[in-house]
Formats: sequence, C-alpha cells, structure tokens
Amino acid sequence: MAPSRHAAPSAEEHLRRNTVGINKETVTNVSSTDFPGHFPGEDHAFSIEQFQSAFSIQFHRNEANDASFSLIGIDASLANAFRRILIAEIPTLAIEDVFIENNTSVIQDEVLAHRLGLIPFNGGREGIHNFLKWYKKPEAGEDPYANSFDWNTVRLELNITCTVNPDAAPTENDPLKAYNHAHVYARDIVFVPTGRQAEHFDGENAIRPVNPDILIAKLRPKQTINLAMHMHKGIGADHSKFSPVATASYRLLPLIHITRPILGADAKKFQKCFPEGVIGLETVTREDVSKPGSGYEGHLGELKAVVKDSMKDTVSREALRHAEFEGKVKLGRRRDHFIFSIESTGQWDSDELFLESVKHLKLKCKKLEQQVINMVQ
Amino acid sequence: MPREEYQVPTTSGGASAGAMTRGATGGERHDSRAVMTYICGDCGGNVTLSKDALVACPHCAGRVLYKERTKRMVQFEAR
Ligand SMILES: [Zn+2]
Repeated sequence: MAPSRHAAPSAEEHLRRNTVGINKETVTNVSSTDFPGHFPGEDHAFSIEQFQSAFSIQFHRNEANDASFSLIGIDASLANAFRRILIAEIPTLAIEDVFIENNTSVIQDEVLAHRLGLIPFNGGREGIHNFLKWYKKPEAGEDPYANSFDWNTVRLELNITCTVNPDAAPTENDPLKAYNHAHVYARDIVFVPTGRQAEHFDGENAIRPVNPDILIAKLRPKQTINLAMHMHKGIGADHSKFSPVATASYRLLPLIHITRPILGADAKKFQKCFPEGVIGLETVTREDVSKPGSGYEGHLGELKAVVKDSMKDTVSREALRHAEFEGKVKLGRRRDHFIFSIESTGQWDSDELFLESVKHLKLKCKKLEQQVINMVQ
Repeated sequence: MPREEYQVPTTSGGASAGAMTRGATGGERHDSRAVMTYICGDCGGNVTLSKDALVACPHCAGRVLYKERTKRMVQFEAR
C-alpha cells in the first residue's frame, strides 16, 4: 500500500470533522465520519492501540451521589452504550412484594405498595453486591416461597399506628405535634435479618433507606399500617425502581469560536449572552494591536471578549440572535468529548457505577465473540 | 395479587365457622357475635348496629359508617 493512503488529516481538519455546527436555526455535521472508506486515502480502521493513545478521562466532580467526568476521544455509540447500561442493566435491591396485613390509612394498598417500591435502599456493599443473588419467581402453582432464601430475599416490616399525643395542648393544630406518628417516613421501616443476613448486614451494614425522611403516608389517630415486604434484586429494564441512577446523561463539550474581535460595550453584552464564567473580558494589549489584520488596530486598552470556560455553556444560542455579533462568533460542540454526569440513588457510588457499566459492556462483547466463534465453526 | 372476594371480617354465629380459606392470617380474632362492627367516618369509633337500629354513630351521631377491612393478608407487587 502506498504511504499516501495513510495520510493523517491536519489538526485543523481534524477539529473541523469533530465539530458539530450549531447555527441560529440548524445543527450541521451531526454524524461521525471516522470510519473506513469515508475519506479516500485515509485509514480509519479501528485499532485498540490508536484508541488507547487518543482516549482520556478527566474527572470534574466525584462524590458518592454525584459524579461528573469527561470521556474524550470516544464514539457516541460507546458513550451511549454506557449510559444505557447505567440506566437499565446494573442490578440493585428494591422492594418487590408487599404483604399488607392492615392498612386503614387514606392511601390505597396498591398505591402504598408502589410508593414503597420506589424507595431507594442502602446497606453493606459486600452483602448487596456479592452475597445477594438473583431471585427467580416461582412458577404458577408452585409454592410462592419456594425460591425465597436468605441469599435472594430481604425482609422488611412496617408496623405503625397513629395515636393522639396526650401531652399536646387541646388546641394544637399541627398534626405532627397533636398526634404520634402522624407522618410515616422511610426511617420507620424495620429490617428483619434472616439466616446469614445477620453476618452480612449487621450494625452499620444494615439494610436501610438511603433517605430516611421520605414521606410514605400520613395518618390520623386510630389509623394503622401493618405490613411486611420482600426485597429482591432486579434491573432497570424490568422496572425503573431497580435503576441504580437518578440520572445518567451526557452532553457534548460546547465550543465557542470568536472569529472576529468583539470589543467595548459589545463585549459586555456578549458576556451576558452566556452563563456566568463562560466569557471573560480582557483589555486589548499592545501585542494584539501590532498584529496586522487582527481587527484590534486602534483599539488599544479597550475591553475584548475571550472564551474562558466553554464547558459551562448551556448552548442557548442567545449570542446568535443579535445583529452586532453576526459573523463574529461560531458555536459548536465537540463530537468526541462527552461530559458524563451520573447521580447514584445511593446503593452504589457514582464512580463505581461507571466502572460497573464498563464491566457489563465487556461481558456483552465476550458473549458476542463466543457467538461469532460458534458461527464460523 | 390473588385477591379473593371480600370476606366479612367478623365471623357471625356458627354459620361461617371454619370457612377461612388458605392465606388467612389473624382471622378469628373477632368474637362470635351476631352483629357487624362498623367504623364511624367522623370519629373513627367502633359502631355496632343491631337489627332495626338507626344508622348513626352513638358517640358523635355521625351518619357515615364504613365496613371494616378484611383481616386477611393481601399481597401486592410494588410496581
Ligand atoms: Zn362517630
């Protein structure tokens, strides 16, 4: 093969290809073109070495319930695969069966059961991730508890009755003071360990709601809720209560390119077209002025708009609405720079969730590989 | 999910004795009396009505009476 067939595009050309154009009313250049055969004389075959050298990750924020990081140099198909795995395929433990002995509250049984199912729970990570396994629903006609064991079912109970508070003043209008247990909160749910769960979920590892202040129901004196619950492992594809993330999303890195100088009062107005911290104001230096054709000639000491942090931009396109900026600014997004944001519901740490999604994708690829091998045999 | 038809929570006389079907929990807790117990919609008190009695709560004269809930366990899927 002639060496010219492997000619790499210039950095400028590379940036142009990787920029999604954002115009006043249209979005251009939306699909990626880095696949074999698209550009004559260029080799775009996928190689793991090339991917490794071009790919990088930058963390912006990493807390247990909120992580944000950039995946740079990756195709949308892969970034989207991670997002979908995060939402629908990473297992968590959630309430699945509710056995209601008594419920005289105003909230109906099925609504109460649904509300209970949506409460996120936490507990010993080792126990939840390794000790607890999948639960298989018994077939019709089988004993309904035939498949319930300590390694796949967690029992919780909620027994609460509202009573009049004898210490409250007779004129008390606040139900929380006038009655005991006027509000039922997630923290009133009691974990009942069975079998070996006592070892895996003892002390601070106990199964407990992530947010103890979730309101489940409101009661009035003599009303009572008396029920037991079974938790099982499941995935978000089955029901969103099993989804380990509150949100898992990405956006492409916004690009702002100021093509011609924006000066003085215009610069201040330009700054206001973007969220705070995106556009900075600097004074035109002697060096700027000395460059012929830069547009700064004769504007020494005036304010000029510069891009400070385009990541903070929301791409509202406000700047494109004003005539004074016409032809002076180009907006875009970088096609291969994904700013991921993962908010865990609490059963996993957010950064751990991303690693888990990578693990899941890898497993899927291994399964596919085996299928391909079987196909050619 | 299996929700059988409503069963009177109180066992009346000897007629329905032993009529509890599978899945019953905590039944038979009520005394065998020939009267139904209702719950007053106004004060929440228990109201027993005998034959030909006026439909009203003896505690607060409330005229809305509710039937008691079944004493049997009801299973739901949290979905
Ligand atoms: Zn009454």
